[in-house]
Amino acid sequence: MPVTHERGYLIPAVDSDSVDYARCAVQLARSIRHWHPDANITALTVKPCHDPVFNHVIPLPHGDLGGYRNDWQVFHASPYRQTIKLEADMIAAGPVDYWWTLFERRDVVVSLGARDFYDQPAESRYYRKIFDQNDLPDVYNAITYWRLSATAKEFFGLVKSIFEHWAEYKTLLKFPEDLPSTDVVYAMAAKIMGPESVTLPQGIGPNIVHMKRHIIPTQSHDWTQELVWEMDPFRINTVAQWGLVHYHIKGYCPDE
Amino acid sequence: MTQGALIFAFDNDHIDYVSMAAWSAENIRRHLGIPVAVITDREDVSGFDHVIHCEKNGDNHRWFGDFETQMPWHNHARSDAYRLSPWDQTLLLDADYVVASDQLRCVLDSPQEFLAHRWATDATGKNDFSGLNYFGDNRMPMWWATVVMFHKCQHAELIFDTMAMVRDHWTHYRHLYKNPNVSYRNDHALSIALGVVNGHTLDYAGIPWSLASVVPEHRLTRVDVDRYRVDFVNQENQARWIEIRDQDFHAMGKKHLGEIVASYT
Repeated sequence: MPVTHERGYLIPAVDSDSVDYARCAVQLARSIRHWHPDANITALTVKPCHDPVFNHVIPLPHGDLGGYRNDWQVFHASPYRQTIKLEADMIAAGPVDYWWTLFERRDVVVSLGARDFYDQPAESRYYRKIFDQNDLPDVYNAITYWRLSATAKEFFGLVKSIFEHWAEYKTLLKFPEDLPSTDVVYAMAAKIMGPESVTLPQGIGPNIVHMKRHIIPTQSHDWTQELVWEMDPFRINTVAQWGLVHYHIKGYCPDE
Repeated sequence: MTQGALIFAFDNDHIDYVSMAAWSAENIRRHLGIPVAVITDREDVSGFDHVIHCEKNGDNHRWFGDFETQMPWHNHARSDAYRLSPWDQTLLLDADYVVASDQLRCVLDSPQEFLAHRWATDATGKNDFSGLNYFGDNRMPMWWATVVMFHKCQHAELIFDTMAMVRDHWTHYRHLYKNPNVSYRNDHALSIALGVVNGHTLDYAGIPWSLASVVPEHRLTRVDVDRYRVDFVNQENQARWIEIRDQDFHAMGKKHLGEIVASYT
């Protein structure tokens, strides 16, 4: 993909059988534009999307390979020299443009760790057992930065290789998943390259608010039915949110 | 600028909070060199620089583990501290907070308008306080009202006014924060108030060390001036003890502290 702009946000918006990620991507893009009206935002899709919130809507360059296995294509699809890739099912609850300053001297930055909605580091390791059992870095691909560079090319080459040869790579892990999750694949790639080369020190870079049940914690899966939340400003149980909130409940569309 | 400590002391049938406060007042004067005011409904009090009379309000009950019984707990007036304090800068202390050092001097010298402890820890290291440092089913971070420093200023006034609002609408806030405790607690009200006043964020300055605490099931005795012994049973069921020396702490068990106070006053 030819480079058209120096910096921009890239949101993969490929629907799955159960989730309308295109709708999630529109919502995320609108929340970013609320804070940064001039931001460059691109959606990476399979089906056409004409929402004017996006500057570009780009088809997956290698077609829909199915679910997580599309992820490595982001590197080839981005029209930006510096890209921040964001998972679609999130909301920007505050300005995020200062990230560019944090990231600009690095080739690749994958976010490290997660927060609860109190802005405290997520303590539960319930969803991260495979990371702990295999001493993998605690990366979340939900926020990933790269600049066009040899490091980024190597990183996404590894991501592609791990996805395509999962049967072999998973033999390196204790208690591997049958199907690879993007976070595990990124963590393996990070470990192979050296975590320091693709992450910022813990507490320096941005990380997501993760609204999964065991992190928050809530009694049920659907926090939107259990906690009080409000928009503009985005608050959960009265606590003002900032940065990106990974709301996890895929049907959650508060601006509709 | 006037500066002093303030202690609430409303006795119940089992605990003589006024004597505890008077004993604490001596320690405060000795270590911090500041006068002490007490807020109480008792007439026959001595040992304080100021006595502020206030009626008991609220009809709270809670379980006191060291007495193994439910008891009345008159804690509703705490949010009136701002209005009742005679000092420009106040060190608001629980009657069961034991001053055994001058470490609170740096809190008084701090440029902050309002400070409290975010974290408490078991002085013996035996108990994990992660449950006590949060409240409610969703683990709202809790700030401890045991030690609070405030200046007379709009910021502090707002915090205490908001605590009063939470107190007066406790059922609403209890449900909002999914708090299984029916009884009103000042720690919870303070935590909610700090969030509200600070723009619904949880990012504000606190006392930069943990509140050392002695839990009710551990036996607390006095060894000497500013020296205390804590006897406890460790995880392997072995009897152990530690000595707390020249270190402030929160005596969560009123029974043992009451015995110390009765012996040395």
